[in-house]
Amino acid sequence: MNKFNEAKVLLEVRDLKTYFKTDNGILKAVDGVSFTVHEGETVGLVGESGCGKSVTNLSIMRLVPSPPGKIVGGEVVYRGTDIMKLSEKELRNIRGNKISMIFQDPMTSLNPYLRISTQMIETIRLHQDMTKQEARERAIHMLKLVGIPSAETKIDCYPHQFSGGMRQRVMIAMALSCNADLLIADEPTTALDVTIQAQILELIKRISAELKTAVILITHDLGVVAGMCDKVCVMYAGRIVESADTDELYANPLHPYTRGLIASVPKMDGNREERLFSIEGQPPNVIDLPPCCPFHPRCDRTCEVCRHAYPPVKKTGNDHYVACWLNCSEEEIQEAMKGGAN
Amino acid sequence: MTKYIIKRLVGMIPTLFIIVTLSFFIVRIAPGGPFDGERALPEAVKRNIEAKYHMDEPLIVQYGRYMFDVIRGDLGPSYKYKDYDVNTLIAVSLPNSIILGCMAMGVALIFGISLGVLAAVRQNTLLDYIPMSLAALGLSIPLFVFAPFLQQVFCMTLGWFPTTGWFMNDAPLRTMVLPTVALSFAYYADIARLTRSSMVETLRSDYIRTARAKGMKNSTIVFKHAMKGAMLPVVSYLGPAFAGILTGSIVVEQVFLVPGLGKFFVQSSFNRDYTLIVGVVIVYSVILIVMNFIVDIVYAYLDPRISYK
Amino acid sequence: MALTKKKEITTNEFDQTIVGTSLTKEAWKRLKKNRMAVIGGVIVIIYSLVAIFADLLPLYPYDQAITSHRNLRPSLTKTAGELMLEQEMKNLFFQAWRQGRLVLTEEEDAQIEAWVAASKTNNVWDLVYERGTQALENGSFEWSASEQRRIDNILEDIETETLITINSVSAPVDGQMVNIEDMDYETLITLYASLIGSDYESVNQSMYNEVSATVTNELRANDSSLTGEDLTAAVEMEMDAMGEDAFQSRAIQNVIGYIEQLAERGASSDINTMITSGGAQLPYRGVFDLSNGLHVELEVSRMHDRRYICGTDYLGRDLLSRIIYGSQISIAIGLVGTITSIFIGILVGALAGYLGGKVDYYLMRFVDIMYGLPYMLLVIICMAIFGRNIINLFFALALVSWLTIARMVRGQIMSLKNQEYVEAARSMGVGTMSIIFRHMIPNSLSVIIVYSTIRIPAFIMQESFLSFLGLGVQAPYASWGSLIGDAVSSMALYPYKLIIPSIVMVIFLFSMNFLGDGLRDAFDPQSKNQL
Repeated sequence: MNKFNEAKVLLEVRDLKTYFKTDNGILKAVDGVSFTVHEGETVGLVGESGCGKSVTNLSIMRLVPSPPGKIVGGEVVYRGTDIMKLSEKELRNIRGNKISMIFQDPMTSLNPYLRISTQMIETIRLHQDMTKQEARERAIHMLKLVGIPSAETKIDCYPHQFSGGMRQRVMIAMALSCNADLLIADEPTTALDVTIQAQILELIKRISAELKTAVILITHDLGVVAGMCDKVCVMYAGRIVESADTDELYANPLHPYTRGLIASVPKMDGNREERLFSIEGQPPNVIDLPPCCPFHPRCDRTCEVCRHAYPPVKKTGNDHYVACWLNCSEEEIQEAMKGGAN
Repeated sequence: MTKYIIKRLVGMIPTLFIIVTLSFFIVRIAPGGPFDGERALPEAVKRNIEAKYHMDEPLIVQYGRYMFDVIRGDLGPSYKYKDYDVNTLIAVSLPNSIILGCMAMGVALIFGISLGVLAAVRQNTLLDYIPMSLAALGLSIPLFVFAPFLQQVFCMTLGWFPTTGWFMNDAPLRTMVLPTVALSFAYYADIARLTRSSMVETLRSDYIRTARAKGMKNSTIVFKHAMKGAMLPVVSYLGPAFAGILTGSIVVEQVFLVPGLGKFFVQSSFNRDYTLIVGVVIVYSVILIVMNFIVDIVYAYLDPRISYK
Repeated sequence: MALTKKKEITTNEFDQTIVGTSLTKEAWKRLKKNRMAVIGGVIVIIYSLVAIFADLLPLYPYDQAITSHRNLRPSLTKTAGELMLEQEMKNLFFQAWRQGRLVLTEEEDAQIEAWVAASKTNNVWDLVYERGTQALENGSFEWSASEQRRIDNILEDIETETLITINSVSAPVDGQMVNIEDMDYETLITLYASLIGSDYESVNQSMYNEVSATVTNELRANDSSLTGEDLTAAVEMEMDAMGEDAFQSRAIQNVIGYIEQLAERGASSDINTMITSGGAQLPYRGVFDLSNGLHVELEVSRMHDRRYICGTDYLGRDLLSRIIYGSQISIAIGLVGTITSIFIGILVGALAGYLGGKVDYYLMRFVDIMYGLPYMLLVIICMAIFGRNIINLFFALALVSWLTIARMVRGQIMSLKNQEYVEAARSMGVGTMSIIFRHMIPNSLSVIIVYSTIRIPAFIMQESFLSFLGLGVQAPYASWGSLIGDAVSSMALYPYKLIIPSIVMVIFLFSMNFLGDGLRDAFDPQSKNQL
């Protein structure tokens, strides 16, 4: 049972669709994604590379490069206002202030030509009415909070003088320097060493609890999700196939893809002779995908209907949603088969 | 930083040395000399003249003597303009060339960078297409076509500007317009294309996405965050651009009759005026090397990742 | 079985077609999408075809100067004769206006005065010609007797003057007929001496004088400040610098011209009788055996029936033909220069990149220093001092332009050096040279080719720049640069001479640049728009 379910809804994503125009056709990177984030909650977004996790979150901030990308439908409601309908100016007021982002590669996400101090102070002064000196103190405070040693002198360095882990700390400090409600962390640890990864995750966990910030954590690592998140959404080929509270999902995975993912996490106590489980095959090319379950070629429990229609999202338990024909009734399957035949 | 500058300054010396040596020997191994044809002179007189210019000595001694003079800053007497020495000739004409070159470079930089940035920010609109078509044109029209064309249209047909001359009639500044425009066009083209593409590339980079995610205004992103990085390729292009402007000014000076160094250079090559040729080459090389040096310093200043060691 | 399977369209589980991608195929697809690049490519191909097959086109010889056809304007409809007449009438009308016989309105008078003051000669001519012909038609103006005579003379010339084009002349040498163009210097001089009843020595001497006279004129044209002793000295130097071969080839040109003149004169009486008796239809092709032993094949045509689509130059040469043959030279220089520089660049770059260490260090320091040189200036010096011919031009340009390619190839090789397939080849005992030239160069070829496409216009521009300064291609050859250079001084009076070659050149450079950009974007989509 998730303790945040009673809390106020912070962000609600409804049927978000983001398409990219490519040479070969329309690429449906995000095709009808819905989920909610409550205040202070940490939501994990899990999936293979290219399943649309990052695009979902860039779409939330309307940061999808356009062209070629375009948000073609859906709503992103932040505290009652639809971000999709905001003017550029109102949007800027939310970006970095209410909702912040940190990115995958800390090496390239900081501007290499500007000092850390410049980059941090400008963010703070952009959203908060502070003098330069106050902003600088605030920045130093934030740097100390994320564990940068001798922050008073380090703040005047250039990004290339920091190591990867330190840069990601700086990114986190910068992202949270305006007391954001929601932090979107887009694979924050992928580009880092394993030891640093744990530190950064620990830092995000600690600091979000301290500042009562909600977090959307994008990752492909189910182990990370288990340790960090209150709720998990599993994405496949641009859609959420299953979402549930973390414990519920691990205990009772319903979608074959989720099951496969969980099975393929290496276990320390497992039998060494046993081969590690892996899901065969490749995720599909999401350009001009016919109506079907996109997972069916890789699924071990495919049936006829999987090839003809996309399964509807079913609520199976307390806040447990899944999109798989296995959880549908016979009538629904018959209905879909008829629809597919037309 | 100081150490780096000193090191670069010292590094210029071999380049200069090679240039002086190379041009000294190229002009001298070629058959014929400035006084060879003066048959009308008695042998003794000719020998006197040669002795006066030390041309009777072995080549290597002449070379040593010349190098010594050059180090002292004396480029020797002109063999053809008999009453002048090379220093005077250069001192008279160089300022005109420098004014022309700097004006052209300035114009090219101002228009190239501003229009290039504009085109990058407003991609695939008219504000992109117009400056970029102009740049494509500038890339394809040779200077010696463009300069006469300007003359034909703006002087002959429209009569807005004087055909030729330099600071010579009642409206001196108007004489500068066409030579500057002509010389700067090709460099405008290069700079605008370079600026646009590197700006487009920079705007796609991760740190610009970060800046967007922080809620920065578009103008701030372009000018504060993207500008420095996007200017780096432009800065490193400036070295070759200066070299091009030097040679380009030869054409412009010829078409618009600007009394600059370029004219001397072509004439002295035809005349085999040894000292003048080598003198002009030295001056051009020094300009070029100094410009390259400044470009490197500016580059190092813009990009904090470059260490001065 | 395997073959048929290949032809089938492969689909995956979702009935999506799976298309195999190769780098070149993808690049080609991208290139074809870039419309400007395709148009550029087509134009470049058309230019190249015209340049290659210039000899097959029905063009007038590019070096044939007809004195009475000097500076004719371009015209699609009018023949040279009509243009000559028109030009003469323009002159006469203008004189008549000056003398007050051709009466115009006061405004027109004022207008003409203004044009004369602004030296807009063409406007004046056009106006008086228009008004003059109107006046002639309505009878308010008549030619004076002398003017009528001049016009009649031109009309008669147009009717009667013929142009004899010698296709080939052969003469007996040791009992065999040999084409004079295939003879060496001595045989040719001996032949000419025997034809004019002189001896070898004196002909040789007069040839020397002639060549030096030409050189004098060239020098004076290049630098009008040369006079007296300076001029003599410069001529001597030039003659010395020319060397035996260059002198002989110039002299041979002259002698061939003289022999052709002799042949023409010898045949002309026969031709004249033929024409006057009406026995021949012009244009006429014929073979004549002359009494002095020469065997001539020639072609007779009416001289003033020629049409000059692009006009003529200051010597009466067909501009169209000069532009096309000029394109041949300009494009050839672009190509050969690029190929030479690529060759040197690949060699140096590959060695430096693969061997590394000291070799790399010194080669690259050398390249750095060369970069610091104002190299166009060195090219100018070389051209001015070592003589202006096409070979020197190739050398001078190629010698200084390999630097960038060398740097680029070095970078490529360095990054390829640590690739697995190179290590595999090395571990199997493949030799260094073989690794470089069979494995590494082919793999960096696409980058090199793309870069070369971008280099070609630069080469053409440099060649033209030198030709413009009078340091490049020399008469009777032409290149785009020399055509433009010749036209600049008279651009007010004859703008077409400047405009037509300029447009031809700019279109080519434009297409070449677009093609180069397209190729680069197609093959190397990640690259910046670096120069």
